Amino acid sequence: MGRAAISSTNSQFVFPRWANYLLPGLLLALAVAVIYVPVVVGYGLAPQALAVGYRPIQPVPYSHALHAGELGIDCRYCHNTVDKAPFAALPPTQTCMNCHSMIKTDSPKLALVRQSYATGMPIHWIRVHDLAGYVYFNHAIHVNKGIGCVTCHGRVDKMDVVAQVKPLSMGWCLDCHRAPEKYLRPRDQVTNMTWDPVADAGKDQLTLGLELKRKYNIPDATFMTSCSTCHR
Amino acid sequence: MSGYQDEKLPIPTPRRLKKEFLLPGLPSPAKRILAILAALALVPLVLIWHARVSYTTEPRIQLMQDMGVQPRYGPQAPSPVYADGRAMRLPVAGTVARETYAPDDHFDRGYRLVKDPKTGQWKVDFFTDLPPQVAMSHWTLNRGRTVFNIYCAVCHGLDARGDGMINQRATELQEPKWIPPANLTQIDPQTGQLQFGPQEYPDGKLFNTITHGIRNMPAYGPQIETADRWAVVAYVRALQLAQHATLDDVPSEQRGNLR
Ligand code: HEC
Ligand code: HEC
Ligand code: HEC
Ligand code: HEC
Ligand code: HEC
Ligand code: HEC
Repeated sequence: MGRAAISSTNSQFVFPRWANYLLPGLLLALAVAVIYVPVVVGYGLAPQALAVGYRPIQPVPYSHALHAGELGIDCRYCHNTVDKAPFAALPPTQTCMNCHSMIKTDSPKLALVRQSYATGMPIHWIRVHDLAGYVYFNHAIHVNKGIGCVTCHGRVDKMDVVAQVKPLSMGWCLDCHRAPEKYLRPRDQVTNMTWDPVADAGKDQLTLGLELKRKYNIPDATFMTSCSTCHR
Repeated sequence: MSGYQDEKLPIPTPRRLKKEFLLPGLPSPAKRILAILAALALVPLVLIWHARVSYTTEPRIQLMQDMGVQPRYGPQAPSPVYADGRAMRLPVAGTVARETYAPDDHFDRGYRLVKDPKTGQWKVDFFTDLPPQVAMSHWTLNRGRTVFNIYCAVCHGLDARGDGMINQRATELQEPKWIPPANLTQIDPQTGQLQFGPQEYPDGKLFNTITHGIRNMPAYGPQIETADRWAVVAYVRALQLAQHATLDDVPSEQRGNLR
């Protein structure tokens, strides 16, 4: 049919001259796509984009910057199972009332805390850090082997509302498990948010880290990176 | 256009090249489409940049959910099934958990009940020393220091003089209900003895105060394990000694190390 149409008018279809752009244009587009698509997928689907920066609004305007930062309450005062159990317990309302039965006793910001204390209904804190269900994580071993909270949770003592600042991806875990000496610190400094190897221990991180790695009997990379350590 | 053959070979100036080879400009719709495409290509980049530098209240997107979200409850997880919203059930009233089964007067309670032979009344007799389960040692004192600094220092201060951060702040704020914490190293003006020292305030009583609180002081039994509470008792004794130590208490061969 098309053929008939062409022959009937006896004119050939002539591409416009700009059609010469098509081939180089296509090649250029391909070259751009080869860079563009991996960049978008790589950066866009990375945990830094999808997981980092999660900061839910909590039911009580509780501030770590005030309690842990300004008032200097140790993390373990509230998260008191962190060095004994896999799970770092969130404090029961009773713990808040230790102080708030005497301080800010009629602050509206604490209404929910008082109500929870009176009724026995727990405060429904919203979970910030949440690994996938197929990963086994254990706080106690990390804290007892000298990994500071700040290494995995950032400067919590400066956050009014807790946010996730580390990717918590497998690559991130492995980066440390391959060479924990990059992050090790003395056991009694784990809740110290401002610990610095040079200022506080007088050694650079690697020297100190290797020393502590021996002292704390941390297994070699083969064990630390074997799949069954974390997927069990 | 006449054939090339008729012309002298032209000098390929850029302008001439453009005219001869690079053709007329694109039709304007195509130009517009290209411009729009280029702008659209920037959108994901900007969105990604924004996602990476900003905070969000949306939970993370789990790309491959396979077994990442499992229908099971973790510790402290919420559950819609129960009226109080807890997945972890509270034990039936009256349940004695193994670790709270407290058969040992000394270790678990710090006191025993003795019957007064004359009146026949039961009365509380506090133990005056550490229980055998907790040996006084360098380790115990260190442990005691750690625990004291976590739980007690916020109110009583690192030196137990009663001026911790919370006390300072509450005094600053002039909180009407605030009662200043006791100075644990205080000397009683009447007796000239430590008010909370081992004679006036036996170890068992101090242990009991930590476990159950006293008047305005909250109970720390729920937060601190039994052995650790005894370690705190040991450390408070050390602080009381240290706060009233004189040069004579330092062994002579160590005095050179003082600064
Ligand atoms: C006075 C009690 C208190 C102290 C002290 C405290 N926290 Fe918290 N923490 C909480 C409460 C309550 C929550 C739950 C609400 C929230 O997420 O803000 C929480 C939540 C968190 C979370 C987020 C948990 C999640 O859902 O993933 C992290 C991480 C955390 N705390 C770390 C720390 C660190 C590190 C310190 C020490 C610098 C510390 N906390 C000190 C009470 C405390
Ligand atoms: C060791 C003592 C202590 C504990 C434990 C404690 N707080 Fe506080 N909190 C304070 C003090 C002191 C202030 C007042 C600080 C100020 O305003 O300068 C305060 C202030 C607050 C405020 C702000 C009140 C207002 O009106 O400004 C909130 C909200 C709060 N706390 C929530 C909590 C919650 C929730 C918990 C339990 C997870 C908790 N606190 C545990 C000592 C404590
Ligand atoms: C090795 C890294 C690492 C260290 C060190 C670490 N955390 Fe965590 N924390 C995590 C991860 C990962 C999660 C999420 C766990 C999950 O989803 O099962 C988490 C979760 C939490 C939670 C929420 C409850 C829970 O257990 O899931 C709290 C609270 C918390 N951490 C507090 C702390 C405190 C306080 C410290 C320091 C004493 C600390 N963490 C040290 C990695 C760490
Ligand atoms: C900053 C360093 C660091 C990070 C980050 C880290 N770990 Fe570890 N992890 C350690 C160290 C150190 C040990 C102690 C190993 C030992 O002595 O057995 C350890 C031990 C463990 C163990 C226990 C192994 C055993 O002995 O049974 C598990 C499970 C584990 N890590 C899981 C994780 C997971 C999951 C993540 C990521 C969410 C993670 N870790 C992130 C340093 C780290
Ligand atoms: C240090 C702890 C650790 C070790 C060792 C480890 N993983 Fe993982 N793995 C993780 C974490 C953390 C995640 C991500 C969880 C999340 O996304 O919340 C993960 C995720 C995965 C996933 C799922 C990826 C997805 O997005 O669906 C697979 C598959 C996996 N790991 C396989 C392995 C294999 C195979 C090995 C052994 C070579 C291994 N892992 C060793 C911690 C570990
Ligand atoms: C929330 C602040 C707070 C914390 C934390 C705290 N105390 Fe107290 N403490 C008080 C107050 C307030 C008093 C004074 C009670 C009164 O006289 O009503 C007190 C009094 C005492 C007394 C004297 C009791 C008496 O018979 O007069 C002792 C001993 C004591 N505390 C020990 C401790 C120990 C040990 C710890 C750590 C486990 C601790 N306290 C933690 C607030 C606190």
